Amino acid sequence: MAKEPVRVLVTGAAGQIGYALVPMIARGIMLGADQPVILHMLDIPPAAEALNGVKMELIDAAFPLLKGVVATTDAVEGCTGVNVAVMVGGFPRKEGMERKDVMSKNVSIYKSQAAALEKHAAPNCKVLVVANPANTNALILKEFAPSIPEKNITCLTRLDHNRALGQVSERLSVPVSDVKNVIIWGNHSSTQYPDVNHATVKTSSGEKPVRELVKNDEWLNGEFISTVQQRGAAIIKARKLSSALSAASSACDHIRDWVVGTPEGTFVSMGVYSDGSYNVPSGLIYSFPVTCRNGEWTIVQGLPIDEVSRKKMDLTAEELKEEKDLAYSCLS
Amino acid sequence: MDFVIEGIDYTSVIQKALVLLSCVALSWKMIIYMCNLLNIEQDPIRVLITGAAGNIGYAIAPMIARGMMLGPDQPMILHLLDIEPTSRSLEALKMELQDSAFPLLKGVIATTNVVEACKDVNIAIMIGGYPRMAGMERKDVMSKNVVIYKAQASALENYASEDCKVLVVANPANTNALILKEFAPSIPEENITCLTRLDHNRALAQLADKLSVPVSSVKNVIVWGNHSSTQYPDSNHVTVSTQAGDRPIKELVTDQNWLKNEFIAEVQQRGAAVLRARRQSSALSAASAACDHIRDWFLGTPKGTWVSMGVCSDGSYGIPPGLVYSFPVICEKGSWKIVQGLSIDEFSREKMDDSARELAEEKDLAYSCLNA
Repeated sequence: MAKEPVRVLVTGAAGQIGYALVPMIARGIMLGADQPVILHMLDIPPAAEALNGVKMELIDAAFPLLKGVVATTDAVEGCTGVNVAVMVGGFPRKEGMERKDVMSKNVSIYKSQAAALEKHAAPNCKVLVVANPANTNALILKEFAPSIPEKNITCLTRLDHNRALGQVSERLSVPVSDVKNVIIWGNHSSTQYPDVNHATVKTSSGEKPVRELVKNDEWLNGEFISTVQQRGAAIIKARKLSSALSAASSACDHIRDWVVGTPEGTFVSMGVYSDGSYNVPSGLIYSFPVTCRNGEWTIVQGLPIDEVSRKKMDLTAEELKEEKDLAYSCLS
Repeated sequence: MDFVIEGIDYTSVIQKALVLLSCVALSWKMIIYMCNLLNIEQDPIRVLITGAAGNIGYAIAPMIARGMMLGPDQPMILHLLDIEPTSRSLEALKMELQDSAFPLLKGVIATTNVVEACKDVNIAIMIGGYPRMAGMERKDVMSKNVVIYKAQASALENYASEDCKVLVVANPANTNALILKEFAPSIPEENITCLTRLDHNRALAQLADKLSVPVSSVKNVIVWGNHSSTQYPDSNHVTVSTQAGDRPIKELVTDQNWLKNEFIAEVQQRGAAVLRARRQSSALSAASAACDHIRDWFLGTPKGTWVSMGVCSDGSYGIPPGLVYSFPVICEKGSWKIVQGLSIDEFSREKMDDSARELAEEKDLAYSCLNA
């Protein structure tokens, strides 16, 4: 008996992350190999033709799971009945733009998207904000869509999480699937804190802590952290475009784990609404270690936090607080 | 006869042993299944992508890494090849693949060295080629590409794994594949194919749209011939699954004229239509079709379903041997087989022959470029 299709919205769908993401969704990477989907692709009017081109290609791919495609520049049509919303659309930072300018453009976009989602999305719609500044865009979305449960509004730090796993696996020359439980704390920006203190590697003699196997705290506390923090910039330097493939893939991982659940003994990183855990101020969208079950995420509690980590976690919370103030000043 | 020695009833022991052995024999399948559940992993398969730094490469790499080409349990090592000017983009692709933490992806080799790229590969997806630029004549495109494919042929022949399956995507796909075959004689010719699955999928989608049914309900369209404007999308044997079982399409599409004209034109011109809308040629759908082509070849086509593949003609359906021509095929145990015995009407005959003629011309042109 086939399942009812799930409606998935991708905003900014005519862009390069959208182009990488939609075939992944249509192949069942995001929601599972037996879950039919209907894709809602939304973008701005100047991108209407390109958006239609993407729709044509999705149809040409004859995906068995893809039961429909809605390609539109109308936010209402885009949001109607959606169960999952991946917000990739946003104003990109251009050369010469100040942080305040980028912030200003994006907060107005996310304020209006908030209204559209609140009114037209399906109840219990799960939202993932990808467009930067991801945490603050998500916060604005939450603030202006008060009837969307705050636990349903998240932002993407899974990309940083996966990058961290990749770096550890490269260092140890082990398959990346043997590494788990890194944590990305905080803001999806250069103040993010990639924390390996609770990460483990599967070995022939069981799970071993990453620190024990790497045997190089200097690297783990220095180069490893800065590599992960600056990886996005490194990709831009090499590609002349920002990461699309890896961002799209991580977005699929984020939603899949949220909906289907995390494997036993594994936690992942998600930007979620802070409840004050680990002394992170509430009222921010902050990346925490979470487990997922029955469609809900829960912050992993009780992990010991050393002094070095504390400082870094506080630093990124500071930045998020500043971004929040900046955002509100733009809106006022 | 009883074996009783020193009070031990050996008959009984033997009987019990026999019973035990029979139980084990009968439950062997179950035991194997349970062992598989212990996740004993398969050896990784090496997949080469040429032209990997381009748009189709960028789309196909994550699809392969997620198991869409080889199945959800088959690990792989990706070999990414492109030319020197793209080496930074190539490196960036490798970085992004690492950053995605794909469980099935056991390694990435990103290189501009064709020997390193071809070494031991089990599957080769040839996307790299010289693109047609404004003002270029057909002869010019052909000339550049045949040189490339002649060189790639040697590299594959010398370094790829013996059982390597090759899929040529870069245009002119059929003729590039032909050149590859001619200059890599030790690669079994059944292992050299070209992509017409994109046209096949486009045809299914057009039919599904006309009938307002899900595309998964439509099957057995055929794309005959050249992956060019002379391709012939043939709906004569299409069936549609309905509540009353599989029905031939003629019962459901009353407009025969549409099937013989607009439908064919839509499919033939779809590439150009996407190019107009996106300002870039199809990447997502080409990548997806390439995954379908390899997956069905590798894992087998579903029962009762055939697909279109550009393969070395054996003279079936009156198509001259010595061309790489798209036929309807079924796949089983890693081999494709042309579906035989399908009725071909006059209309189809003409179109199939047209496309064969074009391929013969391309072949002559290719050889003249090589001898020039």
